[in-house]
Amino acid sequence: MRFILEINLRGSGRDMNEKIKISTRNLSVFYGPKQALFDINLDLVENKVTALIGPSGCGKSTFIRCLNRMNDVIDLCKVEGSIKVDGKEINTKNTDVNLIRERIGMVFQKPNPFPKSIYDNVAYGPRIHGLAENQEILNTIVENSLKKAALWNEVKDRLNQPGTGLSGGQQQRLCIARAISINPEVILMDEPCSALDPIATAKIEELIDELKKSYTIVIVTHSMSQAARVSQNTGFFHLGKLIEFNLTEKIFKNPDNKMTQDYITGRFG
Amino acid sequence: MTEHIVKSYEGQLQELTNIIVKMGGLAESQFSNSMIALLKRDQDLADKVIGKDFLMNEFDIKVENSVINLIALRQPMGIDLRETVSSMRISSELERIGDLSKNIAKRVRFMNFDLPSDIIASFKRASDVVQKNLKDVLDSYSRRTKDLAFRVWNSDLEVDDLVNKAMDEAMVFMKKDKKNLEISTQFLFAAKHIERIGDHVTNISENIYFLVTGDQIKGTRSKKRSTEE
Repeated sequence: MRFILEINLRGSGRDMNEKIKISTRNLSVFYGPKQALFDINLDLVENKVTALIGPSGCGKSTFIRCLNRMNDVIDLCKVEGSIKVDGKEINTKNTDVNLIRERIGMVFQKPNPFPKSIYDNVAYGPRIHGLAENQEILNTIVENSLKKAALWNEVKDRLNQPGTGLSGGQQQRLCIARAISINPEVILMDEPCSALDPIATAKIEELIDELKKSYTIVIVTHSMSQAARVSQNTGFFHLGKLIEFNLTEKIFKNPDNKMTQDYITGRFG
Repeated sequence: MTEHIVKSYEGQLQELTNIIVKMGGLAESQFSNSMIALLKRDQDLADKVIGKDFLMNEFDIKVENSVINLIALRQPMGIDLRETVSSMRISSELERIGDLSKNIAKRVRFMNFDLPSDIIASFKRASDVVQKNLKDVLDSYSRRTKDLAFRVWNSDLEVDDLVNKAMDEAMVFMKKDKKNLEISTQFLFAAKHIERIGDHVTNISENIYFLVTGDQIKGTRSKKRSTEE
């Protein structure tokens, strides 16, 4: 008589073929004397959506701002440790920051279109990066970017109207179109839906799902259910530390860490 | 465990656990009373069991409503999600145990004489094991322990063996005399019901294991001879 027991460790199986797009090692950030991030070791998988969750002030925005060197613009900010994109270190003095920001785009919490026309908002990046040789190519880039951002049908007849005249959800999709117009490899999104209604949020989420086929996406969100819906991997930050990083399914069903459990279930004191 | 920031959420989850515990208690007494009624041919007790079955159904509906409300209004995650989902599953298993206990009680009317004690020995042992397993599995639910749930899950084979033995004995008894036919048939039905209750108890243990660990017990348990063959 023999009992065969297999315990199915659901959610622990990682895809061995996945490629790491960005990896950080011992990444620490200081704002003057205050340390905001402590030794973050995190791998962002290519063509996957990684969600970062955690209470306000836990360092998730600081973390993604490191990835395209946005913290450089803050005087007192010091970033230590390693950030590798495709295996190449970018946290060095001689890294071309403009090139990094071309490869790693960003979408912010509040839609922030330029006070320009819809067309010019999207054409701005390709123009300054010299991506379009002529008007025809630029037109194609604008159209494709707006199509990818699922906004084309809504704005194709009014490309010359100001971007700021669009609804909040449309403005956010315009910002996404602007981010992808220069054909980045990674898109960082810092609470992209926090100012949007549920329908506009659903459109952005559908878009994220579509965009992940071409881009690696990192999204900071305060909505647990959004993190659960859109991401494949989730990292939980608390007080500047990465507490747990796991498959999203695992995080929301059966997290390893008690602090993660308390946070996602609303028990955090 | 730390309490929820939102107290009413905590209250709803606690209420769900309370219903399951009460429902489990009723399932235990329904099953044990149906066995007493059968073995003593006590029609009054059998009628009580049959009459109380609607309570099990009411509990089940209550659990289902609570679970649907929790999912719609709270979007539970992590341990709360497992708590919610397993409550619904455990409730339907208990409801089935209630139905089968009622069916055992319904057999009493057709038991036209006392069975010889040597015939009912294996039958009674099978029922005792299942009753003990049901009690253990409910204890393991209340205490949120996986070890006890795992033990119950692993003891299903013992139940199957005892039920098979009881059925074999009933067949021998049946063949002895034509007048034994009716009572033996009822007895075979009841034995089958005990086996099914054992299966539902096993399912509950799987749900508790999932509730506590987030993993599922998976595996095959070899059987000497299944009554389902």
